[in-house]
Amino acid sequence: MPDSGYPWPIQTSRLDNGLRVVVSEDRTAPAVAVNLWYDVGSRHEPAGQTGFAHLFEHLMFEGSVNVAKTEHMKLIQGSGGSLNATTNPDRTNYFETVPAEHLELALWLEADRMGGLVPALTQETLDNQRDVVKNERRQRYENVPYGDAWLRLLPLLYPPGHPYHHATIGSMADLNAADLATFQAFHRTYYAPNNAVLTVVGDATASDVFALADKYFGALPARDDIPPAPDGRNVPATGQTAVESVSADVPAPRVYIAHRSYPFGSPGYNVITVLATILGSGRGSRLYQRLADGERIAQPDLVGAYGVDLAHAPAPLIATATARPGVSGERLAEGLADVVDELATVPVTAAELDRAKALLSTGWWRQLSTVDGRADLLGRYTTQFGDPARIAEQLPALLGVTAEQIAEAAADVLATDRVTLTYLPEETS
Amino acid sequence: MTLIADRPGPGAARPYRFPPVVRRTAAGGQVVAAHLPGQNLAVALLLLDVGAGQEPVGKEGLSGVLAKALEEGTAQRDAAAYALAVEGLGTALSTGLDWDSFQASVVIPVDRLSAAVELLAEAVRTPKLDPADVRRVRDDEATALRMDWANPGPRADAALRADLFGAQNRWGRPMHGDPESVAGLDVEDVTVFHSEWFLRPGTLIVAGDLDRIDLDALAAAAFAGTGGGPAVRGGPIEVPLHSERRIILVDRPGSVQSTLRLGHPSPHRAHPDHVAMTLAGTVLGGAFTSRLNHLLREVHGYTYGIRGDFAASRRFGRFAVSSGVQTAVTALALVEAVGEITRTQATGVTEDELEVARSWRAGQLSVELQSPRAIASALTTLVVHDLPDDYHARLRESLLSADVDQVSAAAATHLHPEALTLVIEGDAAVIRADLEATALGTLLP
Repeated sequence: MPDSGYPWPIQTSRLDNGLRVVVSEDRTAPAVAVNLWYDVGSRHEPAGQTGFAHLFEHLMFEGSVNVAKTEHMKLIQGSGGSLNATTNPDRTNYFETVPAEHLELALWLEADRMGGLVPALTQETLDNQRDVVKNERRQRYENVPYGDAWLRLLPLLYPPGHPYHHATIGSMADLNAADLATFQAFHRTYYAPNNAVLTVVGDATASDVFALADKYFGALPARDDIPPAPDGRNVPATGQTAVESVSADVPAPRVYIAHRSYPFGSPGYNVITVLATILGSGRGSRLYQRLADGERIAQPDLVGAYGVDLAHAPAPLIATATARPGVSGERLAEGLADVVDELATVPVTAAELDRAKALLSTGWWRQLSTVDGRADLLGRYTTQFGDPARIAEQLPALLGVTAEQIAEAAADVLATDRVTLTYLPEETS
Repeated sequence: MTLIADRPGPGAARPYRFPPVVRRTAAGGQVVAAHLPGQNLAVALLLLDVGAGQEPVGKEGLSGVLAKALEEGTAQRDAAAYALAVEGLGTALSTGLDWDSFQASVVIPVDRLSAAVELLAEAVRTPKLDPADVRRVRDDEATALRMDWANPGPRADAALRADLFGAQNRWGRPMHGDPESVAGLDVEDVTVFHSEWFLRPGTLIVAGDLDRIDLDALAAAAFAGTGGGPAVRGGPIEVPLHSERRIILVDRPGSVQSTLRLGHPSPHRAHPDHVAMTLAGTVLGGAFTSRLNHLLREVHGYTYGIRGDFAASRRFGRFAVSSGVQTAVTALALVEAVGEITRTQATGVTEDELEVARSWRAGQLSVELQSPRAIASALTTLVVHDLPDDYHARLRESLLSADVDQVSAAAATHLHPEALTLVIEGDAAVIRADLEATALGTLLP
């Protein structure tokens, strides 16, 4: 294994209008990944406009000044490419991986919707995509057992007014109220070159990419008054535990225990990443060994623990388990809480630490095994920390976490403000 | 205007080069490998010539229980020690099943590959299969399936499969079984299935930097203690089409969406029309830009997405469309979907659409050359379907040279809108009358 967490070249440039361009050349496959991170997410949404950043992401595929409605998808797929976009509380990203000879097309399409979306935006398009997003909400959150857990956990973890208080998908009422002028203003406000990072990874040279970026994006005007999201870095501890019990059409009791930890990118979050792996990743994890294999109160496929990689406030640490038949939600909640609490009292062994680091190491290389995986991470480190080269420090940082740091972080994070969310099947509650 | 209006054309096309394939017989088994110089990660995949198709009728889900039981301790160590050994290397045993094959694989930094393959073989070839463990795994698997079957989809899938292929046949039942079939398995089912199928050598597939991998040593570990020949493969199964369209309603009270599964039987994988059918399926439902998604999502807003394709295994295939649509528009969406399938069968595809479909399918072959996992998957296709080393390069040429007449002919021949089974899983009390009013077919009781 290389010593660095990123053994590929990284070259950067900044256009006069503020667009940061990151290139990482790799000629292994004849493909190139293009990725744009816009520093706008649901954390920027004011009350009454929840879900707007994500609905806006949909509108970005519906045509711009020189690209007809539906043509964006057609041109990328017609070039042999894959494409998508995602929105989360922190940011919105747009990405495509294309055979390398179509790099210029991808940049042209991205520039056209960065600089020319508003004139092409129509009420008909908005109404159509509003319906699509409402169906997305039904499909992902409303029509599946436990589907709304994330929507319930966020307001328990973050107080009203906090940028992470509401979920990215938004509320049906706000989506219904969305009007065209708001979206036109949203684009003018946030979709500026100086609020974005363009990353290109794969079969391309940096000098060519910089020249193409300048050609297509260079004349787009910067915007100098982009409003920041509310500051959510300090969430005062309440000293309270929050307990919510939901009676729903679910097949078995399920419990989530959640805490606020540290922002993604901080040393503390790296410790939490290793801690969560020890607690809940794989058959050798504490949750599996204790609850699925030992006491046999939890279903083996459904125990887990993970940090949610949000960077602008203390990020959630979540542990979850689902009851085996005949086990009550109460019994499961006790068992889960015991194992979580022991992180602060039962020292992590060298074997546990080694196992977690080996899994995280393989996970890291898997994430970097594709050009699109690399492009997304480079865009993240540039957007959130101002420097793509920080990517190389991530794996060494994880591998440097000690048992003492885990004990300290566990004592710090688990001490207060626990959120416990329990789902119970309707007939037994 | 600050934007450049002219759409740029493509640059110089890169050649398509599938990595060099190495095939050899070693230690009594077959090895198929691809050389990925400089790649840090490697994949080893043991492919066994036994799929869901070999499970006895009534024993559906047997392979899934066996797959989980493999990790419940081996001849050398107990379950916890095995988990720590595998995860201590930084990997996990990943298993998969389809109609034709079973696979167990590891993805791992290349310097640890041999240790990982030894552990993989230890589980596959010498599992302890203690009766108490097997019963517990069976019960857990039945529970896991009950959890899964509480989601929209599995019940509709099962209803479609049974109606297409007949529930008296193994291939007319769910590939992974259902909660009841798994709950009904006994220990002997599992141990007998293991000794009959999992002790044959199979094929070891490796994707990685072969300069840093000793294939003979991996083969020796993977094939130790094995014997017996390959399974006898049955020929293609003739599946009759229904004589008229039918509707099956699966009740899901209170559902805010209806889950649609429409389908009919289609040819097996080795059929000469395979490429043309793939492209016809792509134009109709295989891509975001396809006809069905454009109409139901982008024009009508009925759904978050709708997909359709032809899928084929060695012995049989099926055409199927799947979606989730808002409850209130269930009947409207169904009429539109059937209408689009009918139109595609009757009038074929246009050059404009086909150009997107063939470029996309061909280009994806280039995009998929990146990761060891994707290369290993491509090698698996070669082995399962007896294809030559240059298959992917030839496939690319076939895709790019397919013309409108060929693809329209495939649509005309292999789409059967009048023989479709339409399965709708949704709130029956709300949608039943609307479905009947569509007159799309007979609503089965």
